[in-house]
Amino acid sequence: MIDGMNRRIHYLVFLLMIAGLLIIGLAISPTSSNAAPLFQQPAPTDVVPENQAGSTEDPLTISDEACLECHGKPGLEMTLDNGETWDLYVNPEDHTSSVHGESGYACVQCHRSVSSYPHAPFSAADSRDATFQLNTACQYCHTHQAELNQDGVHAKALEDGKREAAVCVDCHSAHSVQRIFDPQTGEILPEARLWIPQTCAKCHSAIYEKYHDSVHGAALTDEGNPDVPTCIDCHGVHNIADPTTAEFRLKSPDICAKCHTDPEIMNKYGISTEVLDTYVADFHGTTQVLFEQETPEQQFNKPVCYDCHGVHDIARTDDPQKGLLVRENLLVRCQVCHPDATVNFPDAWLSHYIPSPEKYPIVYYVDLFYKFLIPTVIGGMGLLVVLDFSKKLRDRLETQKRIPFLMAKPAGDETAESDPESTGKNKTGKGVDHSPTEADEEIAVDANLTDESDD
Amino acid sequence: MSLTSRPQIKDSHEGIRLERTFPRFTIGQRWEHAILLLSITILLLTGLVQKYRTSVWSQNILSTPERLDMIQNIHHVAAILLTAEAVYHIGRALYLLSRRKLPSKIFITWQDVRDGFQMIKYLTFLSRKKPEFGKYNFEQKVTYWFIFFSIGIMILSGFIIWFPILYTKFLPGAIVPAAKLAHSTEAVVVGIFIVVWHLYHVLIERLNLSIFTGRLSESEMITTHTIEYESLINQESPVASSSTGGAQ
Repeated sequence: MIDGMNRRIHYLVFLLMIAGLLIIGLAISPTSSNAAPLFQQPAPTDVVPENQAGSTEDPLTISDEACLECHGKPGLEMTLDNGETWDLYVNPEDHTSSVHGESGYACVQCHRSVSSYPHAPFSAADSRDATFQLNTACQYCHTHQAELNQDGVHAKALEDGKREAAVCVDCHSAHSVQRIFDPQTGEILPEARLWIPQTCAKCHSAIYEKYHDSVHGAALTDEGNPDVPTCIDCHGVHNIADPTTAEFRLKSPDICAKCHTDPEIMNKYGISTEVLDTYVADFHGTTQVLFEQETPEQQFNKPVCYDCHGVHDIARTDDPQKGLLVRENLLVRCQVCHPDATVNFPDAWLSHYIPSPEKYPIVYYVDLFYKFLIPTVIGGMGLLVVLDFSKKLRDRLETQKRIPFLMAKPAGDETAESDPESTGKNKTGKGVDHSPTEADEEIAVDANLTDESDD
Repeated sequence: MSLTSRPQIKDSHEGIRLERTFPRFTIGQRWEHAILLLSITILLLTGLVQKYRTSVWSQNILSTPERLDMIQNIHHVAAILLTAEAVYHIGRALYLLSRRKLPSKIFITWQDVRDGFQMIKYLTFLSRKKPEFGKYNFEQKVTYWFIFFSIGIMILSGFIIWFPILYTKFLPGAIVPAAKLAHSTEAVVVGIFIVVWHLYHVLIERLNLSIFTGRLSESEMITTHTIEYESLINQESPVASSSTGGAQ
């Protein structure tokens, strides 16, 4: 009975769960579908403006042409509360050639406060405040990105009062938002990869200069190489992590390893994919692993990839000026932490090589030596010990068989150790006489005769 | 060679068997062994934790960087103790050598090789003759020399990885990773050797605590160091040899 009840309840719960999942799925799907494959939503009509209630007119009847009646005229501007001039002109070209314009979005789908003509007056303390106000439009559709951005370093800076920290439109622009992903493959478009460093450079120009001349940056700008990382491949996109934290530093080798352990990318350039393994196997990397597993919040004081290879100005290792294959360059890096290091010292680091007869032969041959020594020692010792032990065991069993005879003896003294002892006793009296062979033989032939050997 | 006999029980009653004992290790040698036992145990424990840092048991111990530092400090202190012991041992040997008093019985001879083969033959039923030994049998000599050279490797490589900057001033840099590898691997070899070979022979094959007591009983001498026993007995006066087992 109870079993049947339980089963029925389980069945009901299961059905409810499925129904719940379906409902949640339906509820989420409109937002998630425009979050994942970006800019694909063509249907402008299903977005309902928020402040529709108060107005008599359907805002969607306000065509772009109506807006451009005023905002399409160059020179339209207003004065903000602090006296700044705010340009209200919108070049229609900007919008029509943008990803939103291509998909047929209308002005009022972003500018939702506009529900009638003339629209309610707009006011802002200053131009940055105006940007912040208008920037809120993005999250109507791009909720996911907006949420990610809240976890990012820029949102944090804004919270801390740094008003210059980037918001959506600072990177993506307001009206001329460009398509970033290939709608077919979902991959970042090659030209979009080129824009990324330039976009970040708008604020982080000093870092851009370093990146631009680095092995990665040069390959991107000169060849449009799709394999090299742009800013976002290491730093993330919207939820950009603070790169100055202990955690970021500790986890940074994983960022490099993402590409540098991938043979599909590395084989093209003849770069070893064992760089992470060899790093982890050596002193510095060993400690890194330990920190990562045990105390990720502590500042890691051993070098990570970028301490030797550079942060943004990463050079080819065979670069004659900066390359680490030039020992003097590597020594400079060593001396940052080991100030007394001398010319030989950099070789103490295996430079990501796996020892071989050509590279680090001494390490290779030490390894080889132990590859032979360990089996020899363990095998040889083990064999002797096992042989010895089995002999002891057999002797003991044999002694047990003989115990009745020993007991029968009048002066049964010894605790019946084993054969060699009885022969030893022999010699105590006689001194030099060698008779272990005979004694052993007698015992082996017939246990009944052993007491003779005690004479 | 002074032979003293010592009753194990002072008040002799009827039925109590007195057994004569023979000196085997001097008090100095016993102290040296105690220091080795202490320092090597600490070094193995603190070293293996660092070697197997990727395993869970090790990480439970090395849970914080401070713990790691502490374990490394303990390792270094024990290393200094072991080094001091090694310096003393070699220094004493050199001193004795200079006065032509270095005991020669610990050195490996061809007889030990023959004994080893004979032992294998005996244990594999190829021969009924069990080899007889002097003061140190081939197993004990192997133990001594294996640990002697292992400690040498451990001390050399240990100091190189402890002071890499100092050593690379006059040695090639590759000596550091080579020393690291040798130190880490040799430690495991020594550990296995001590457990499988040494502990088996002194604890399981027969309980031999002479390194702590300094003495071996007469029956142990007869059984395991026959040749040594015979030569000691022959050196003694006939009176002494006849009083085997007596007090005095």
